[in-house]
Amino acid sequence: MTIASFGSHNWGMVVDVDKCIGCNACVIACQAENNIPINTQDRVERARSISWIRVERYWEGDFPDAKARFIPIMCQHCENAPCEPVCPVYATYHNSEGNNVQVYNRCVGTRYCANACPYIVRFFNFWEPVWPESLRNHLNPDVTIRSRGIMEKCSFCVHRIRRESRKARSEGHEIVDGAIQTACSSACPTTALNFGNFNDPNSKVSKMRDDQRHYTLLDQFATDPNVIYLAQIDADKKVGVGEAATHG
Amino acid sequence: MLVSVLAIGGLGVMAVMGVVAAFIITGWIGQPVPVLGFEQTFDQPIDFPHTVHASLLPLDRVAADGEKMDGLGLDCTFCHRTVTTQANAGIPPVGFCATCHQVIGAADNVQINLLRDAADIIGDDGTEPVNWKRVHRLPDHVRFVHEPHIRYLTQNPSEVTGTTDGVTQGAAGVCSTCHGNVAAMQQVEQVESLKMGQCVDCHRDNGAPTDCVACHH
Repeated sequence: MTIASFGSHNWGMVVDVDKCIGCNACVIACQAENNIPINTQDRVERARSISWIRVERYWEGDFPDAKARFIPIMCQHCENAPCEPVCPVYATYHNSEGNNVQVYNRCVGTRYCANACPYIVRFFNFWEPVWPESLRNHLNPDVTIRSRGIMEKCSFCVHRIRRESRKARSEGHEIVDGAIQTACSSACPTTALNFGNFNDPNSKVSKMRDDQRHYTLLDQFATDPNVIYLAQIDADKKVGVGEAATHG
Repeated sequence: MLVSVLAIGGLGVMAVMGVVAAFIITGWIGQPVPVLGFEQTFDQPIDFPHTVHASLLPLDRVAADGEKMDGLGLDCTFCHRTVTTQANAGIPPVGFCATCHQVIGAADNVQINLLRDAADIIGDDGTEPVNWKRVHRLPDHVRFVHEPHIRYLTQNPSEVTGTTDGVTQGAAGVCSTCHGNVAAMQQVEQVESLKMGQCVDCHRDNGAPTDCVACHH
């Protein structure tokens, strides 16, 4: 029995915006999982806060009929990523599993990638990361702590992917669909975030992607993201699917 | 006269530069000798002899009763128990050592008594872990997991290049492929460079992923 080798998967995410309630659980889960420094007021005021995933909120309509719109945005792991060709040291590249990878020990901190990224999901470490003494033991040992002067971004929880691949290989079977969950998707209470393998036509994400509500963010840039969004539908407004797809 | 002195001087400079370059290159690539303070071995808090525990051969050691000692030939995984399942090989807790050493070993053996003290067999200051010093320390930013490496070498004995006192089967060969013949070391030292070049060479030869994110994440 041969087990699928490295490179035979295409990891991706399907975000059902219709299910997102804007609770920010994914943001907190990501911060805790990936050793992201705490965004103090000072850092937020300087627009230097780091959050690999964020929930953008839009208001639609005026007061009595106002509606809140939420859309979680993380690194889109673009197939044609604008961040990759601008890096002078190949610190960011596309690997054979569909991930846009940030190699911390190669990064020299030019920040070209952050300027190139249209989704604003790349973050620069302006300071050495510090945590309060009480949080010293909460750090995830599987994730590198990024020091001052390098870029970071959503990794699709690559340490979880590696862990589950290793586990599947040692048990002698393929990676089961749904076995790998990113921190955000496992924290999502409404399963708006779904992670899986697009190369497997029977996986949950592959089936969700075929939904006619699907769209990608900023598709005018032709970045071909591995994060697919499913548009929100208002039952009372009778918004057509085509119309909904232009939202966001 | 002057010309010949200059010529000899030039040769001398070239020779010195050559020696320096050779020193740096051998130090960087092979690490055959500790270069500029790069320590490959440490004095441990307890002078633990891997020879006595793991060697398969008669030793140059005399037991307390005057008999010549043979190596016990313990399997590596007898003490380093998590190596086949987890990232770290694992150091046994002092209680594990004390299982044997509360009776085995002379009562006046200073080094074993350090362990007995740590395990609270002698003394009355409670159990405290031994602060072993790590010998094999990989560079930063590397996520090395023992489990898949042990599994691969166990399943592919033809890739095993190390031996423990001539034995290549099982852990004796698998572990020594990277760690050398630890059973012959009075004090453990690092024998392979364990730099990225060595990792990538082996990964490439054996069809393992050479993607950066396989180890760096």
